[in-house]
Amino acid sequence: MSATVSRRGFFTALGHPFHPTQRRSQSVPALKGGAPGPGDRCESGAPSQDRDGLAGNSASALTAIIQGRFCFALTSFCSVCTERCPVPGAMKKERGLPMVVPDVCTGCGICQEVCPAPRNAVLMMTRRTAPAPVPV
Amino acid sequence: MITRREFNRLAALTAATAVANARAQQAPAPAANVPVGDGITWDKAPCRFCGTGCHVRVGVKNGRVVAIEGDQLADVNKGLLCVKGYHVGLALYGKDRLTQPLLRRNGVLEPISWEEAIETIAQRIMAAPEKFAIYGSGQWTIPEGYAANKFIKGGLSNNHIDPNARLCMASAVTGYLSVFGVDEPAGCYDDLDKCDVLIMWGNNMAEMHPVLFSRVIDRRTKGEKVTLIDVGTRRTRTSEFCDHYIEFKPHSDLAIMNGIAHLLIEKGGMNAEFVARFCNFRKAPKDPAATPTAPLMGDAMTFDEYRAALSPYTPEQVEKLSGVPASTIKMLADLFANKDLRITSTWCMGFNQHSRGTNANRLCHGIHLLSGHFGRPGDAPTSLTGQPSASGTAREVGTLCHFLPGGRMILNAEHRKESERLWNLPEGRIHPKIGHHTMLMWEKFCTSADKGGDIQTLWVQVTNPGQSLPNLNKVFKPKAALPDKFLIVSEVYRTATTELADLVLPSSMWVEKNGMYGNSERRTQQWFRMVKPPGEARDDCWQMLAVARRLHDLGHLGMKDKDGKFLFTFKNDKGEEVPVWEWPRYYEINVDKSLFEEYRAFTRYKHKDLAPYNEYVKARGLRWPVVQQSDGTWRETKFRFSEFDDPYVKKGAKIQFYHSTTKDDKAQIWFAPAEKAAEEPDVEFPFWLCTGRVLEHWHTGTMTRRIPQLHAAMPHAYVEMHPEDARGKGFANGETIVVKTRRGDLKLPVWYDGRGHPPRGTIFIPFFDERMLCNELTLGDIDPISKEPDYKKCAATVMRAAVNP
Ligand code: SF4
Ligand code: SF4
Ligand code: SF4
Repeated sequence: MSATVSRRGFFTALGHPFHPTQRRSQSVPALKGGAPGPGDRCESGAPSQDRDGLAGNSASALTAIIQGRFCFALTSFCSVCTERCPVPGAMKKERGLPMVVPDVCTGCGICQEVCPAPRNAVLMMTRRTAPAPVPV
Repeated sequence: MITRREFNRLAALTAATAVANARAQQAPAPAANVPVGDGITWDKAPCRFCGTGCHVRVGVKNGRVVAIEGDQLADVNKGLLCVKGYHVGLALYGKDRLTQPLLRRNGVLEPISWEEAIETIAQRIMAAPEKFAIYGSGQWTIPEGYAANKFIKGGLSNNHIDPNARLCMASAVTGYLSVFGVDEPAGCYDDLDKCDVLIMWGNNMAEMHPVLFSRVIDRRTKGEKVTLIDVGTRRTRTSEFCDHYIEFKPHSDLAIMNGIAHLLIEKGGMNAEFVARFCNFRKAPKDPAATPTAPLMGDAMTFDEYRAALSPYTPEQVEKLSGVPASTIKMLADLFANKDLRITSTWCMGFNQHSRGTNANRLCHGIHLLSGHFGRPGDAPTSLTGQPSASGTAREVGTLCHFLPGGRMILNAEHRKESERLWNLPEGRIHPKIGHHTMLMWEKFCTSADKGGDIQTLWVQVTNPGQSLPNLNKVFKPKAALPDKFLIVSEVYRTATTELADLVLPSSMWVEKNGMYGNSERRTQQWFRMVKPPGEARDDCWQMLAVARRLHDLGHLGMKDKDGKFLFTFKNDKGEEVPVWEWPRYYEINVDKSLFEEYRAFTRYKHKDLAPYNEYVKARGLRWPVVQQSDGTWRETKFRFSEFDDPYVKKGAKIQFYHSTTKDDKAQIWFAPAEKAAEEPDVEFPFWLCTGRVLEHWHTGTMTRRIPQLHAAMPHAYVEMHPEDARGKGFANGETIVVKTRRGDLKLPVWYDGRGHPPRGTIFIPFFDERMLCNELTLGDIDPISKEPDYKKCAATVMRAAVNP
């Protein structure tokens, strides 16, 4: 059997195309140059180390909130956060806008990291109550 | 100096304001209210990316682009931009901009001077002018394309020039030419504001023309009723917004449109009055080689013959061919039969990158004409372009191997003579034989001279064929083993094409130079240089003029007109000649304006009249024909061929196809049969492979992949599969798998339940990622009429990647 990638692993990988382990493997050949690397992403996003620290921590103190006024979903059709959220059911669409279901969200921050809006539309907030167990 | 962090903040603030305003439909907040600090100067430009042609306001401070916002004054986008547009300023500031000319010595690209670079090109051309070719672009500005066209056809008597638009719009061109006798849509984007039904044929507008799609969705938000229909082979982001998603088997779109035409005739939905007054019927010619124009002219057929030819396409038969239920075919035919509805059709690469692309275009025009859904606002068949100036530069300027500017043809002796007159050339200067079209050009370049490869030197500008040509292992990669072939690439970043280049020229891009584009709706746009290019980068147009001048000085007679003057002689206001081939003096005058005014004289023949340059400076683009009024003002035309708007239609004619191929002011309704694709899935290769684009990246991604926000949002390519197909193979979501065709294989992660949703038996790969080149897999068999390759259909198989290769 080949190594299978967990759902979370896959979505994390999508957020980290130049993760060192992938760089070493031949499946993603080296860049011809120029495209941004891991330490070089959108300044408004959370630094990747923090994100890694949060990922998979179901007891995270954070949860995501979508700030509709900055979000592209309705004006020019963005769907990145809902596509890449690794937790089934943590995000849903309401009248075309992405919404976070706080009880399911683990606070992993991927949605914030991938949001391409000029003013990041995802806010990571301290949650008031403990999150529900992560569904498998 | 403004840091990138500040840039983001500034762009963010302005962008957020624009979004909020656009959504709230309020008056825009003046830019002065936006806290972006002092010293920012603003100017207008069309967006660098797609064929929608939105206008942006570009904020410049200390010689750098520091902010971007949607232009409220632009009709196209009314202040809105898509995710690419908001970040367009950052396309200039990737860390690895090319800043020096580079020559390959012993396999390594080494810096050289501009003088050496220009001399090298000139010597290569002098040695064999007939073996030189230019591969250009729908991202060339209009003056750049015009200069290149004049240089090679009028100067070198060589017609080996073709743009990458051959890969995207050629079938739309042959479609329009053979139906209306003149290229480009009759309607415009205003149709989207007026239609009751919008049918998108293989067209993922939400991702490829997002701002245009938002115009339609906005109408719904306002409570208007508009029915959206997606006819496609894969569920996309567009499908989610549609009332009907109609999925068909790849290549069977021809059968569906024949099925609609058949029902229109048999069930009385045809608009007999419209057809009798404005249309003829045509079919493929018996002998396509009889005359050069035979494939576009076709043979006449009677209505009865047309009706008989359609008779096999009963709804039941079409269901068998296409997989679309007979009842759905009837539903579509009923819509067209309803004369009270206004129906707009749009398409893009689904029809065009099709080995029967010309026919797909013709049949779509055909059902609109047959039902009379034509010539009223909201009733139009309209192709959308992918590139910002596929229409303006490639199609109108005629930078194709068989065209001359303004819709003229190389093969027409009168047209050559007329062009020679306008260029003040001696008679007979323009070569009467057409040049190599894109696929042939690259095949000849990648074949050694002794085996008939008659292109030795190829100059690429503003495009990335090393990634975008189909079947790369055949038409691009063999160059590496042919040391006598010389590849010149004018670029802004290193790309898959510069990998094999012998000479790389660093170019200015977008607002680092003056420019003009022409978008999908016949809108010609203008902008000024706002910042300086980095290092020694220089304008593509200057590069062409400098080589022309060097050839002139070396004694190439073609570089002189019939009075012995250099082909590109420009004067300043005082009437003094300015040596613009010397870079420090290039911006002493506006070369764009000089070239454009010269080009304008070509545009009237096909009634594609352009206004003087200065009109475009004032406007956010104008749609041609732009005709001067009795009061001296210039008026654009929204709806061509319709009396109420097009000044060239005779009074009382209602609709007049004044460039009709049959010279009777009528359009042609074509019959074309449904046919099989060139390669279909079989036991060994059981999947259909489709390729395409994604919202975040523009074409080969060389610009957008260097923009951190876009890169993070869409970091690499993937292969989309139906989840059941993936699970059947035991693939986990995200697992790296191998996709294989008869032409190559490729490793990439599988993604299901992601962006798009292909049906069972189909896989999809986006082509933006230079590290995972799906064009090593594609077949690229060409449409026999347009010579445009099919990127959407070939047979593939998938397998598990070895764990430790
Ligand atoms: S932070 Fe919550 S909503 Fe965002 S990606 Fe992670 S789980 Fe999904
Ligand atoms: S990624 Fe950002 S802009 Fe896109 S839908 Fe999500 S919140 Fe909105
Ligand atoms: S829709 Fe096209 S032209 Fe408009 S902002 Fe987006 S990429 Fe630019």
